[in-house]
Amino acid sequence: MFFVNFSGKSIAQNTKDTLHLPEFEIKSNYIFDNQGFKRVKLDSITLIPHLSSDLSTILSEYSTVFIKSYGNGTLATPSFRGTTAQHTQVEWNGINLNSPMLGQIDLSLVPVSQFDGIEILYGAAGLSRTSGAFGGVINLVTNPDWNNIADVIVAQTIGSFDNYTTNVNAAIGTRSFQSHTKFNYSSGLNDFPYYNDYLGEYVNQQNASFKIYGISQEFFWKLKDKHLFNAKIWYSHSKRNLPPTTSNFDTSNLEKELDKALRAVIEYKYVKSDLNLMIHSALSDQFMNYQNSLINANHQSYTWINRLRFSYNGIRNLSLQPGIDFNYDWVYSDSYTGMKSRSTLSLFAEINYEFNPKIKGSLVIRDDVVDGRFMPVIPAIGFEYKPFNKVNLVVTANTARNYRYPTLNELYWEIYGNPDLSPETNYIIELGSTYNYPSRNKKLFLEATFSGYYSWILDMIIWTPVEGSSSLWKPENVRQVNARGFEIGTNINWHIIGFDLGFKANYTFCHSTNEKAQIPNDNTVGKQIIYVPVNNLNSTVSLERWKFYFKYNFLFVGKRFTSTDNSYYMPAYSLSNIIFGKNFALDNFVLSLQVQINNLFNIDYQSVASRPMPGINYAFTLKFSFKKGIN
Amino acid sequence: MIGTRHNIYTLQTLFIASLFAVFFTSCSKTPIRETTIDPPPDTTVTPITYKNGIFVVNEGNFNWGNASVSFIDYNTNNVIQDIFKKSNQRGLGDVAQCMIRFKDYGLIVVNNSNRIEVVTLKDFKSFTSISGFYSPRYLEIIDSTKAYVTSLKKNIAVIDLATFTITKEIPTSTWTEVLTKFDQYMFVTSIGNFNESNAKRKAQVFIIDTKNDVIVDSMMTGKEPLGIVMDKKQKIWILCTGGYDFYESPSLIRLDPILRIVEKVFTFPNDGNLPNKLCINATRDTIYFIKDGVYQMPVTASDLPSQPFIPSNGRLLYGLSIHPINGSIYVSDVLDYIQDGTIYQYNSSTGTLLNTYKVGRIPSSFCFTN
Repeated sequence: MFFVNFSGKSIAQNTKDTLHLPEFEIKSNYIFDNQGFKRVKLDSITLIPHLSSDLSTILSEYSTVFIKSYGNGTLATPSFRGTTAQHTQVEWNGINLNSPMLGQIDLSLVPVSQFDGIEILYGAAGLSRTSGAFGGVINLVTNPDWNNIADVIVAQTIGSFDNYTTNVNAAIGTRSFQSHTKFNYSSGLNDFPYYNDYLGEYVNQQNASFKIYGISQEFFWKLKDKHLFNAKIWYSHSKRNLPPTTSNFDTSNLEKELDKALRAVIEYKYVKSDLNLMIHSALSDQFMNYQNSLINANHQSYTWINRLRFSYNGIRNLSLQPGIDFNYDWVYSDSYTGMKSRSTLSLFAEINYEFNPKIKGSLVIRDDVVDGRFMPVIPAIGFEYKPFNKVNLVVTANTARNYRYPTLNELYWEIYGNPDLSPETNYIIELGSTYNYPSRNKKLFLEATFSGYYSWILDMIIWTPVEGSSSLWKPENVRQVNARGFEIGTNINWHIIGFDLGFKANYTFCHSTNEKAQIPNDNTVGKQIIYVPVNNLNSTVSLERWKFYFKYNFLFVGKRFTSTDNSYYMPAYSLSNIIFGKNFALDNFVLSLQVQINNLFNIDYQSVASRPMPGINYAFTLKFSFKKGIN
Repeated sequence: MIGTRHNIYTLQTLFIASLFAVFFTSCSKTPIRETTIDPPPDTTVTPITYKNGIFVVNEGNFNWGNASVSFIDYNTNNVIQDIFKKSNQRGLGDVAQCMIRFKDYGLIVVNNSNRIEVVTLKDFKSFTSISGFYSPRYLEIIDSTKAYVTSLKKNIAVIDLATFTITKEIPTSTWTEVLTKFDQYMFVTSIGNFNESNAKRKAQVFIIDTKNDVIVDSMMTGKEPLGIVMDKKQKIWILCTGGYDFYESPSLIRLDPILRIVEKVFTFPNDGNLPNKLCINATRDTIYFIKDGVYQMPVTASDLPSQPFIPSNGRLLYGLSIHPINGSIYVSDVLDYIQDGTIYQYNSSTGTLLNTYKVGRIPSSFCFTN
């Protein structure tokens, strides 16, 4: 399944070389196919060398999503376009992975091996999936390759600090039936050495060990190319010790966390030339236990997700896509009084209209009914303009209003929750363009994208001390944030004298500021939100020849402020990571040896204050794969 | 069309060039640590001595490791920030609770770093540190040989002030908080078990014989007794918040430490405004606390004051102390907790603002040089 382009179209790939990029297969990564909304894809080929990593690594190295990492293997949360982790929804095959309690997800718990591709929907593009994702939606997808007979991968990674990862993936099937089984197991002591400023000496990180495993089974059926069924189930289990901060390096306060999640989905699609139907129903069961020397708390949450979508293109130049979603969350938590629940019914319609071959427009209307109460209508409108017939240049514009409903913790956390919260409101305008150039001889592919946005978040919920009490905090709709910025991306592939050269880069500029005074003499108005970098860049250079591959990844993370008046900050840093390896192929078998060096220049850095990060470290992977397809 | 392509090439060349520029400028070996935009002070000048002034203990954010001590100089009214780091090239730690003077030393309780930093007062250089606590809270000196330290998790630590080590633990299973000495006894408030709700917690004051470090008696108090002071008539006042969860009305208790009886209970309205930070002036005739402002109350009063002496006016008042000589009221405003706080100095008879000082993150307590 790692050979599948995730647009769903199978590719007749060179089955012997997992990293070979056939130049005629290169597809655009930057897509405005939603008629004016931005979507970026990270394909399975990019993910291959990162089989043993977690999602946070991939996103920080290849996307404009900013990852706030509290340390190796511990909490990592995504945010983009100057918003928060709660404004970023992560989905696995249409199942929302964000906890209904926290409204966010820990990306270090999502292994790359459990999905085949990533689709990032920026800003208003996310409205086709959900409301509330002001930053966007990160969708992890798995797709079948109907030409597959057998595709088996067994891989073992041995890394620094006693970190081990085992992956076993098996895909078998026929032209009408495919089965995918995936298993991942990681464990690590994670006791990396670092210089502890507080203790004034080199120490090994303590209490940072983890054990994570996951298993998934997916079935795909196809009937007469019209009826597509799939059923997927994924169980993941993670037991982690939580490492202390540099100045809380005392063994008496050890923390640990247990996370268990079961996700199951069944889906049916009916595909006809002018009419499509999709129905899916999913259940997500998440359990979390947190322990320290004083606290032992359990949190159990369930989400039932139902999605129904039609698509009709029978009318000239017009396509209609109405849909209904129904979600139900229910939570049993030691921190809530009794069971708490929420139902969300969403009515959704997307209308696409082609004014002429150069101009297309789309209108998205969504209305959510939360616990029986109608929320204000969410509209989004987008346009796409293709000025030239022979140049692949597209200019887009879109605007939307969006709402985020409070999380269950914000509403119901015992004593601290605030059941009177209103939804947050977001207005966004966005302009974008994308250009690509495939050379006539197909040896060169160039791609560039630009998008700029301005976004207003009103009534943003933040935890605020209750007036007159220094010990009681409650979430309140008090903040106003303006976020504006731009994103530039480029992607170059060049096939020259037998070499495959690649270059990918993303740069983001984001000025996200607090706009409303909350206290007398407030110094924070107009200042950058804490832990949102203004500048962020990642780039990857890749080189391939004689089944030998090499990748150099460079990350630059700009200054992040650590005080709301912007008088303290974490300095900018840059990291370099390299991966190189060789594939040895024999008939349908491939043996791959890979070396990964992270933090090549041994930079002594902290991403979040007081949270140490490892210096130079290594991972060695031995991978065995077998692939047989229908020719 | 050709033009467009040319532009794209140029753009990409520029982009790649800027990438390399970033790469070569950011490849520095300086460790990436939290930094302040204020320029670092000139350290070549003669070492500063911290003689006449106020040490302001800035608690810092939990788990951010940014606790600090600021020094306000009486003569110049200048504030020197983070004097511990300046003298010791390392941070003070995580969540500084309080600072107590002992001879030529300052003892700073750093709660979440689980230690007490001992510094020499004149230059704030680290002398030693004491560890082995169970989340230490407050420290009270008994005599020139020993001190007690309360803790969040369990047990009261007995410190030998000659060696700066823990010599003994007085077993308690509960969170002990503030303490004051009367005669040979130490009165120590106890909140109950940290992980229980106030309905279950047993709030009390332990009476410990300091001669043999044994709990000899206890008395019930209101929920969450977070403040304790002794007045000029040798009465002990205990301020109880009633519970962070508003379990009961907050109260101010006056007890007779000789007879070990509660003489009087002043009850506040349960209006969601929790009183905290009980203080007394040097002449021990007026007590102060923070509610929706700073309240002032003579120890002879028969009722609680109805109006704040200094209204909060929307500020987040957090730390409070009364100057031991001139009686000035020092109160801190922590703003939104995520930036450096401010200290306000008021005249205690007129309530006029005398001075404001910018200090560190979450200023919570004070230690006066004299």
